[in-house]
Amino acid sequence: MKKTIQIPLGSQHISLLEPIRFKFECENEKIIGVDADVGFVHRGVELACTRSFEFKQVGYVVARVCGLCAITHSLSYTLAVEKLLGYVANDRIKYLRMLMVELDRIHSHMLCLAHTAENAGFEALFMQIMGDRELIMDVQEAISGNRVQFDYISIGGVNRDLTPELVALTHKNLGLLSEKIDALIGLFDNNWSLSLKYKGVGVLSLEEAYTYNALGPLARAAGLATDVRAETSDFPYEALGYTMILESTGDIHARNFVRLREIVNSIAMCRNIIENLPIGEIQEKAKGKPNGEAVVRVEAPRGELFYLVRGSGQNMLDRVRIKTPTFSAIPAMMEVFKGAEYADAPAILASFDPCMSCTAK
Amino acid sequence: MKKIETTLSTLLRDIGAFYIPKLWHFLSVNGIDLGEGKIELQWIFSAYGVKDEIVIYYVLSDYNTPVPSLVSLIPSAIMGEREIVDMFGLTVDGAESGLYLDEDSRTHPLRGES
Repeated sequence: MKKTIQIPLGSQHISLLEPIRFKFECENEKIIGVDADVGFVHRGVELACTRSFEFKQVGYVVARVCGLCAITHSLSYTLAVEKLLGYVANDRIKYLRMLMVELDRIHSHMLCLAHTAENAGFEALFMQIMGDRELIMDVQEAISGNRVQFDYISIGGVNRDLTPELVALTHKNLGLLSEKIDALIGLFDNNWSLSLKYKGVGVLSLEEAYTYNALGPLARAAGLATDVRAETSDFPYEALGYTMILESTGDIHARNFVRLREIVNSIAMCRNIIENLPIGEIQEKAKGKPNGEAVVRVEAPRGELFYLVRGSGQNMLDRVRIKTPTFSAIPAMMEVFKGAEYADAPAILASFDPCMSCTAK
Repeated sequence: MKKIETTLSTLLRDIGAFYIPKLWHFLSVNGIDLGEGKIELQWIFSAYGVKDEIVIYYVLSDYNTPVPSLVSLIPSAIMGEREIVDMFGLTVDGAESGLYLDEDSRTHPLRGES
């Protein structure tokens, strides 16, 4: 029997953005077993949503689950409550909500790509992508008033309208970003550090994607055709140019390319949204108190975000269930590590784009 | 959304007959405290490539009855099962405590009497 050694990675490690601890069992340099500890930043958000805050306040509480995808958390919760109130938003509100979600997807994917470059030792590219990402952060700040915790979506609408000046800024920055993304695609495809190094590394097969219920870019990189934007009818994604992006090799390179091509698609959708923005109010009355049970799925940057809300006609809700993308991706992530080289573990982890604030909630 | 009631004793059989990995995406295990020591447990699925198709299998139970594990059918169910062990203090076959709370935690935040 060969000798094995156990090597910890995390909970604090230079390659980790947030606390997660892996315990790798290695045979020489090869990982043969893995255990993960994910609960370092548990804050009891689900409990707070039913014990400490009334339903009208909860949308602002769940936005604090995650800084990166705050907008998808508040959107999911708001949609669930609006279903219980029997309210359907007008088209202008739908378009404005979609715009913010797609902008969020662009900057979140860019953050992941920046860290993937950093893990390849490409520090200059990391800095360049983070700098380019500011184009979208500026637009989000101008529209919502905040860079991170947007608090833009509320029950019955959104909190700010899109002025002609904001439309012009959005157009301008999307145009600038579009050129930069075209250059990035060439770089990720042709540069040795980013292409050859990552091809065939950290592979999740299509069969494994089904077995471990992979989701989001992780699943689509393996060829599994699933995207909540194509599986729900809450928003008119197809009419605004949505295309499902699929790769087939399931490695880090494929995950990078799903994200790059999704950024291109999201830029096109954002342009379509602001060019075809319907006329209407941005805030409407959604009367009553939530009574019954509603479920909502929204495609967050990392995959499917799921909310279940149950109320009994009171100001306080009975249950708010939050199922985040990274939480579901942990079993698939652990499977991918098995058989990989230990030296590749940080890059594989970064390519999953894990969010531990979401996972531990 | 379609809800189907089952029992803990027939759960594995019912979901085993229903779940086809290439048709159904397993979403989550969920618990809802009903008060007076009762709980509703849910196993939630969505259909690949079909709009708004969600199926929830649910069981009305108490906190003392062990819950069977679905890991033999759905390996990724282990995360949700460990979560309800921590948050509701349930016993699930093969699911360890300590996902979010200390392994020896005596409190279970989403359990009504806590």
